[in-house]
Amino acid sequence: MNNLGFALDGAWRVLLAGIALGAGLPILFTLGLRSLAWSASGPVPRPAGRVAGYTLFAIVVLGVLLGITFIVATGFGKALSFEHIYPTIVPKH
Amino acid sequence: MTESTVILILVIVTALGFDFTNGFHDTANAMATSIATGALRPKVAVALSGALNLVGAFLSVEVALTVTNAVVNLQTSNGTPKESLTADGGVALLLIILAGLVGGIVWNLLTWLLGLPSSSSHALFGGLIGATIAGLGWSGVNWNGNGTKLDGVVGKVILPAVLSPVVAGVVAAVGTWLIYRAVVGVAERYTNNGFRWGQIGSASLVSLAHGTNDAQKTMGVITLALLASGHWTSTSSIPFWVKVCCAVAIAAGTYLGGWRIIRTLGKGLVEISPPQGMAAESASAAVILASSHLGFALSTTHVATGSILGSGVGRPGAQVRWRVAGRMVSAWLITLPAAAVVGAIMWYLGDLIGGVAGAIVIFLLLLAAAGYMYLRSRRTPVSHENVNDEWDEVAPPEKVPAGAAG
Repeated sequence: MNNLGFALDGAWRVLLAGIALGAGLPILFTLGLRSLAWSASGPVPRPAGRVAGYTLFAIVVLGVLLGITFIVATGFGKALSFEHIYPTIVPKH
Repeated sequence: MTESTVILILVIVTALGFDFTNGFHDTANAMATSIATGALRPKVAVALSGALNLVGAFLSVEVALTVTNAVVNLQTSNGTPKESLTADGGVALLLIILAGLVGGIVWNLLTWLLGLPSSSSHALFGGLIGATIAGLGWSGVNWNGNGTKLDGVVGKVILPAVLSPVVAGVVAAVGTWLIYRAVVGVAERYTNNGFRWGQIGSASLVSLAHGTNDAQKTMGVITLALLASGHWTSTSSIPFWVKVCCAVAIAAGTYLGGWRIIRTLGKGLVEISPPQGMAAESASAAVILASSHLGFALSTTHVATGSILGSGVGRPGAQVRWRVAGRMVSAWLITLPAAAVVGAIMWYLGDLIGGVAGAIVIFLLLLAAAGYMYLRSRRTPVSHENVNDEWDEVAPPEKVPAGAAG
């Protein structure tokens, strides 16, 4: 494979991961905001909206923590592996 | 002091100067959106970004010493300088590095003066490529790698520069479009504070990632110079003072804030609203981290610009100033060759004069060019006070002809 092949191969993976995390997490966050707004906007408070909202925020926070873990791990010369579905820190190379 | 020690000191000072320009050139990548939407006050934004860059730089515990190997053949694969370049206390190698850094800084300052967000890594690589071609000939450059992985000027610089803004733009456009769909019918008072925090969080991630990635490059270059002149021998670690100096230089640069560039990115391309700001920075953070995970080298600048453009495309009814975008893209195209030309000229000049005198002359030329561009910038100052003024297409704030400062 030549450079162009490697680059295109990398690009579509980055695109998929980017859409999943870079667009997916903000959507969940926005839906969380929407749930809170829904819970607060009725004549009586709707607790279900708060629960849904904070659950969505928790997922977003986990995503952000994953990002921070990755940055820190890279700094220490480690990498994140998704081999076991859940991320684990492994030595690079 | 020997000849090579004097040149080494000039190289270190110049490298830290480059790191500093790298900092203020890239503040905009993380913070332009938060500043434009008012999520953070300008001074607070640059302070936060500077602090996170400092932390990020210190997180770079394992620094790759082979940073230049992506584009030039100055080092062996374990990071030691090529033996042919280390005779004479490494003067030959030091001159190439010095000329390359001068090329990078001059281009960074010129694009800053014009308010254009160009890639600092392209400027650095461009300068090094030019100086290497001048010093070692065309074969000194690693153009295409060896075909086993993404490598060389084409694989590490050109292709990522073409692909990464597109990828980031698509992600941000999708994100923006979906966010606008998701908030239909929700009163702004419920969402504004949330989007504010969303922007701050995503911009912080970009700043942290920037600190770990970019400060490393200068750390690697300085350590290469120390190896070449025999002041350091380990290829598995870098001197602690190098790390401290680089971290402080990039953080100070970030805190200074490249207000001219922040203005272009935050106000010039798209009128950014809070949901767009969050979508753009989330897209940038995700694309930067995913690429770095997959070993796909890219420039934070290209990603951030692509994301902001994408957030303009994705918002129904938003206006994108394609003319401004076009100017940016042309700046990207010429960054590498322009920095290379400056790097090459500097090398020829330094080599012609020779020895310490040559190195001192090109260092003084750098100071003169930097001083001139700083004075030029005072004619139309952009600071934290006017960074968010209305963008006036008719009378752009920068009127410097491209050739005037070159």
